Amino acid sequence: MNTDLFAQLSALGSSLALLAGIALLWRRSLDSYVQAFKWQSLVLAAMFLMVGYFGRDPELYAMAVFFFLLKVIVIPRYLRRLQQRVGAERESQPYVNIATSLIISGLLVLLAYAVTRPLVAVSRLPTRGALPLAMGLIFVGLFVVVTRRKALTQVVGFLVLENGIALLAMLGTYGIPLIIELGVFLDVLMAFLAMQVFVYHIHGTFESMDVEQLNRLKH
Amino acid sequence: MKGYLLEIGQALMALALAPVLVGFVRWWKARLQGRRGAPPWLVYYDLRKLFGKEVVISKNASWIFRFTPYLVFSSTLAVTLLIPLVAAPLPFDALGDLLLVVYLLLLGTFFLALAGLDPGTAFGGMGASREMTIAAIAEPTIALSIFGLALGAGSTNLGRIVAQTLAHPAAAISPGHLLGFAALFIVMLAETGRLPVDNPSTHLELTMIHEAMTLEYSGRYLALIEWAAALRLLIFFSLLVNMFAPWGVATTLTPVALGVAAIALIAKLAALGLVIALLETRISKLRLFRVPELLAVSFVLALLAVTSSFLLR
Repeated sequence: MNTDLFAQLSALGSSLALLAGIALLWRRSLDSYVQAFKWQSLVLAAMFLMVGYFGRDPELYAMAVFFFLLKVIVIPRYLRRLQQRVGAERESQPYVNIATSLIISGLLVLLAYAVTRPLVAVSRLPTRGALPLAMGLIFVGLFVVVTRRKALTQVVGFLVLENGIALLAMLGTYGIPLIIELGVFLDVLMAFLAMQVFVYHIHGTFESMDVEQLNRLKH
Repeated sequence: MKGYLLEIGQALMALALAPVLVGFVRWWKARLQGRRGAPPWLVYYDLRKLFGKEVVISKNASWIFRFTPYLVFSSTLAVTLLIPLVAAPLPFDALGDLLLVVYLLLLGTFFLALAGLDPGTAFGGMGASREMTIAAIAEPTIALSIFGLALGAGSTNLGRIVAQTLAHPAAAISPGHLLGFAALFIVMLAETGRLPVDNPSTHLELTMIHEAMTLEYSGRYLALIEWAAALRLLIFFSLLVNMFAPWGVATTLTPVALGVAAIALIAKLAALGLVIALLETRISKLRLFRVPELLAVSFVLALLAVTSSFLLR
């Protein structure tokens, strides 16, 4: 019964996280991007607690706290500040239109199911049912990075991609050692800060966040 | 024999409850917006008033226009015989499964669109074209999201699905169920003409869909169509609550179990009505060209629901 509940809860949490990733594709304003990312991170933090409880690994509780602080509080706040500095920009014309990108994201999740099929077949973990969903979240994050036009929405896409990787690691291994995970967190923070600098510079040079403009640098 | 009687009783109950459900949603919406609101049972008086009024029909209208209200009403009423409202495996389950339910509802939509075109008014044609656009995208999603459940239960029979979920309560929080619920919820908003897709509280808006088709109707025809629309709302509500949270549905035909089931159904419908009222006070109508995007969201959700319940069996 306990492992059953664990399996159900992990699948539930992963599908909520995936749902937030898909919500990203549907919305246009940066505000709702940040909001969706925040909810997704909250779900993931709760899943860290849940996996820590069922997997009897108290280290994961500490991870949950770090994760919460970094991704639910610090990064969304920075994103908001960034948005205020550069002005509210909407993802009004992504490279792939919204209805099509939703359908494609559905197909990407199907692809994730196909890719992880052998893994799920040999796995004995109670969390195996949720592995394809985590893989799907990674694909969806990647898709957001590739198809959105504005620098800031691409940053959010990258963060969602990173969330997907964290989810996959958590479900596949019940958490990698704390010290490595801390390193990953720092990497994410550094990458985020570096991107922030890029965003400022793109905005300063072109008065816009449209990455299309970068093509002009070639001439 | 008892089962058939119960089935008829259940359909009559749905018929009687449908107007008050619509009135209840309106009343809650008014309260949430700071108005006093008309009492929920006002809808009954409206229906009675409409039944008493004279019918005015355009000279250009053909028999389709006169036939449609009866067809819409009776096809919707037939659906109430097929869905599990208070008790789960019932004798009429053998007559039709979820496919029949979906297509009976669509039959009503189709004829309503025809009737919108029939008198040749500009509004009617516009409403019909919009309704068809939405129905074409929404219809596969309804079927898909219920297929997600059907895969889990191993049958497309609605009564069987409910009984299966009752027997395995843990399945109710499986991703297939939850994604299917979200998908069906969005489609329900589109199919019953609720807010982000259509505005049920106005006749005079260029963006209206359902009201534009029925603009030419009057008297008892209008009463039948409004009653059918209320019934449709009740059907979608009870599909949502009974397929995904079937607790309280009677599996035996004892009077106590049935009484409990009826009370549970009313409580669940009232709760969902409150949710809809809250939603409708918080959000505004979507631009018409964004509606397909919303429906694409629900289609993807339904697709994921089917995938996960197929692969996680």
